[in-house]
Amino acid sequence: MDNKYDVIVIGAGNAGLVSALELVKCGKKVLVLEKGNIPGGFATSFIRGRFEFDASLHSLCEYGTDEHPGEVYKLFEKLGIIDKISFVTIPEAFHVYAMDENVDYKLPFGILEFMEQMENIVPGSYDSLKKFFVLAEESREALAYLEENKGLVDQNYLKKNFPDFLKVSTHTVEKVFDSLKMPKRAKEILGTYWVYLGSPTSKLSFVHFASMVVSYISKGAQIPYKKSHEISMTLAEEIEKLGGEIKYFSFVKEILFKEKKVAGVLLTNGEIYEADHVISNVSPTFVYGNMIPKPMVPKEAMKLTNSRVLGAKGFSIYLGLNQSAKDLGLEDYNYIICESIDSNKEYQNKSSIKNCSSIVNVLNNAIPSCSPKGTTIMTFTSLFMGEVFSKNVTEKNYFDMKSKIAENMIDAFERTTGIVIKPYIEEIEIATPVTFARYGGHPDGAILGYKATGMDNLLPRLLTMDSENYIPNLRFCGGFDVKLSGYHATYLSGDLSARLTLRDMKGEE
Amino acid sequence: MELDLKGLGKKDMLLLKEIPQEREKVIRNSSSNAINTKFVANEIAESLHPTIQYVKVADIIEEGRDAKTFVFVPDIDAGTKKLATFRPGQYISVKVEIEEGIYRRPYTLSCSPKNAYDNIYTITIKRRPRGIVSNYFLDEVKMDDKFTISAPSGNFYYEPIRDAKHIIALAGGSGITPFISMAEAILDGILDCKLTILYGARTESDLLFHKKLEEMAEKSKYIQVEYILSEEENPNYQTGFITKKLIEKYMENETSFFVCGPLSLYDAMNEVLKEFNVPNKYIRTDAFFGRMDLRGNDYYNLTILARGQEVNIPCCARETLLYAMEKNGINAPSKCHVGECGFCRSKLKSGKVKTFDGTIRTADKEYEFIHPCASFPESDVVIELPF
Repeated sequence: MDNKYDVIVIGAGNAGLVSALELVKCGKKVLVLEKGNIPGGFATSFIRGRFEFDASLHSLCEYGTDEHPGEVYKLFEKLGIIDKISFVTIPEAFHVYAMDENVDYKLPFGILEFMEQMENIVPGSYDSLKKFFVLAEESREALAYLEENKGLVDQNYLKKNFPDFLKVSTHTVEKVFDSLKMPKRAKEILGTYWVYLGSPTSKLSFVHFASMVVSYISKGAQIPYKKSHEISMTLAEEIEKLGGEIKYFSFVKEILFKEKKVAGVLLTNGEIYEADHVISNVSPTFVYGNMIPKPMVPKEAMKLTNSRVLGAKGFSIYLGLNQSAKDLGLEDYNYIICESIDSNKEYQNKSSIKNCSSIVNVLNNAIPSCSPKGTTIMTFTSLFMGEVFSKNVTEKNYFDMKSKIAENMIDAFERTTGIVIKPYIEEIEIATPVTFARYGGHPDGAILGYKATGMDNLLPRLLTMDSENYIPNLRFCGGFDVKLSGYHATYLSGDLSARLTLRDMKGEE
Repeated sequence: MELDLKGLGKKDMLLLKEIPQEREKVIRNSSSNAINTKFVANEIAESLHPTIQYVKVADIIEEGRDAKTFVFVPDIDAGTKKLATFRPGQYISVKVEIEEGIYRRPYTLSCSPKNAYDNIYTITIKRRPRGIVSNYFLDEVKMDDKFTISAPSGNFYYEPIRDAKHIIALAGGSGITPFISMAEAILDGILDCKLTILYGARTESDLLFHKKLEEMAEKSKYIQVEYILSEEENPNYQTGFITKKLIEKYMENETSFFVCGPLSLYDAMNEVLKEFNVPNKYIRTDAFFGRMDLRGNDYYNLTILARGQEVNIPCCARETLLYAMEKNGINAPSKCHVGECGFCRSKLKSGKVKTFDGTIRTADKEYEFIHPCASFPESDVVIELPF
């Protein structure tokens, strides 16, 4: 058997799959090694009773529509899979409720519509929001430019084309909101988007936040009809169709080196596969910490990894209800239920095991046919900050604890919205940081990768991506890499890592 | 056009340039000690869901005429130090090699999770007339025999958020095992619910755990048991089948029904519970094989592709693709054996199969994935294992 490949991709998560497909399309001989038995990592679905639940996707950003394609759309077009997956646009941006005050606001997609609705809720906010969106769009474009140039900066070009971006590039969301003189309540409502990014507005990079918000509000967000598993399957099938290989039940134990150069991988079952290039969808924490012999790990790589903090840990509840969304009074798709509308307070709340806030999605309000008639699919997604989950959980209390936390969140949803759902639960599944650690191999169940804060925010990662490529021909991709986490980010990350690997290969010629 | 950004100006425009140096400084000042790779969530994931567990037989207990309980303890020499805990009602898949065959069978754990804390699992196996594995267990397996088993799996367990506090267990024959585990867990204070077991069997000697059930019901007011014999008139038991009237006697306002037993029991209970208008949410069934209309005894050619190899074997129209592979010693992945867990998920490259597909993801159907454990050939078939 020929065990020699051009590139080995470790992990068939979103980024790993995109990397592999892109390289296969460029004529490279590619092998993807996946420890589980299906592609996609968290981008999959599972069945309980008469319901098929999406494991993690509730809004794909940067996809857009045929008329207004986003970056992910363009990527899928490039990969030749655009016609193979059908998407639907979710109906509204978000419906936010806060438990500690009388907060109940529903925000639409579309920048104009969004600003008008905000003006209704917070009179006098319109001008600051208008400026925000101009600045956000400029930030989005500037970040794209920086990525295109692999982080190499032409200061004069930036000054000429993105002067405002330059002014805000190192500042936090909170600081820039203040400079825009945005009213407090408007800051809070707009700021609720922080929860997708995992750091409170006082710590979160403005340009990261703003580029995401502008994309979300202007292009909307989409979901595939047949769950995220459809995307993963399409990518996997395309890889194999074009001659790439994916081996499941294949756990990579070690990255092998020959004369200090990447030479291949060794699996736990003893199999060896050779390649001069490896792309890892596995976190640097486990790669540098477990999968490379100690003497081969550069000191800088150890220092970098030790300097980073794990981001938020995931917690999800999947409910199949035996009533229709309409009969239950569930009118919206995307509920953000917070204990406090203030992101700093909310971050604290999420650092407690009593955390009961969550993002709640009612799938039938985007895809009415997603479950049998007269039923509803509802998913809760929440985050635990720091090590609070790990500090409270043991093997023995695990099952009880996950039920208790889930019940807290369901109760909080009922209390806040006044909508009763508990008696209608026909199927329930609960995923905790343990579940995410199990299926994704994420350290401590950190679904958002490393915490985006300080010098580990998006911009610092972008600007240093080349200089931190400590082991030649070993690239990373996925939520722990340069582009941070989220579906769109991981797909785009796979694209970036494939392009960087192609460049590494060219350099050798 | 530049915006008026209060408090931000020209000097802020220079900050971007300094980012790489600033980040480098953070890295430089960080520790170069070994990277921490021990995390609580990953460790619990590993202890609850180990890829494989090595066990050996520590005891064999006769359970009436044609059933035995096998007590497993960790096979420390093989690398298992402790057994994974589980939820009462879950099963383990046991790998058995008999002659040329490699078989895996799911067996519900018939003990309390507390036993697992003490590194003990028990499974109880009843002889099936033509069952290769059950006969092997009852006739051949002896003390200290070694097995590899899966982590505990399955969704047939009490979920406090969904289920009623009162469970009526509708058990038939060896389908009593999950309820033994649940009753033990109630006694151990691990499960907080009330359990009424309606246990049907053909004759008194077919009742498993009779004495144990009596003792458990004696010990706890939250456990009660009724026996119903279908083929024996015995003054100590009710005769016939589990009826609407019997269920009515125990049913409370909110009751969850947990059904485990032969296919005929599921059919019968389905009918009865329909009459009470019990909503789906209150009916839990242990994973079982749906009824399939199988015709003919034709043998087809089954081609299996895996890790660059190709194997051809015969497969009868009345046997699953998985069973044909098992008999022929092909080490295909499998766990539940009833098409539920998806562990054997494989690609149908060509040919036609009759398959129980209620548990296959929509996108998987599109790309022609099947569960070999629940698929019967209708022509020559080529499948690709997920290796």
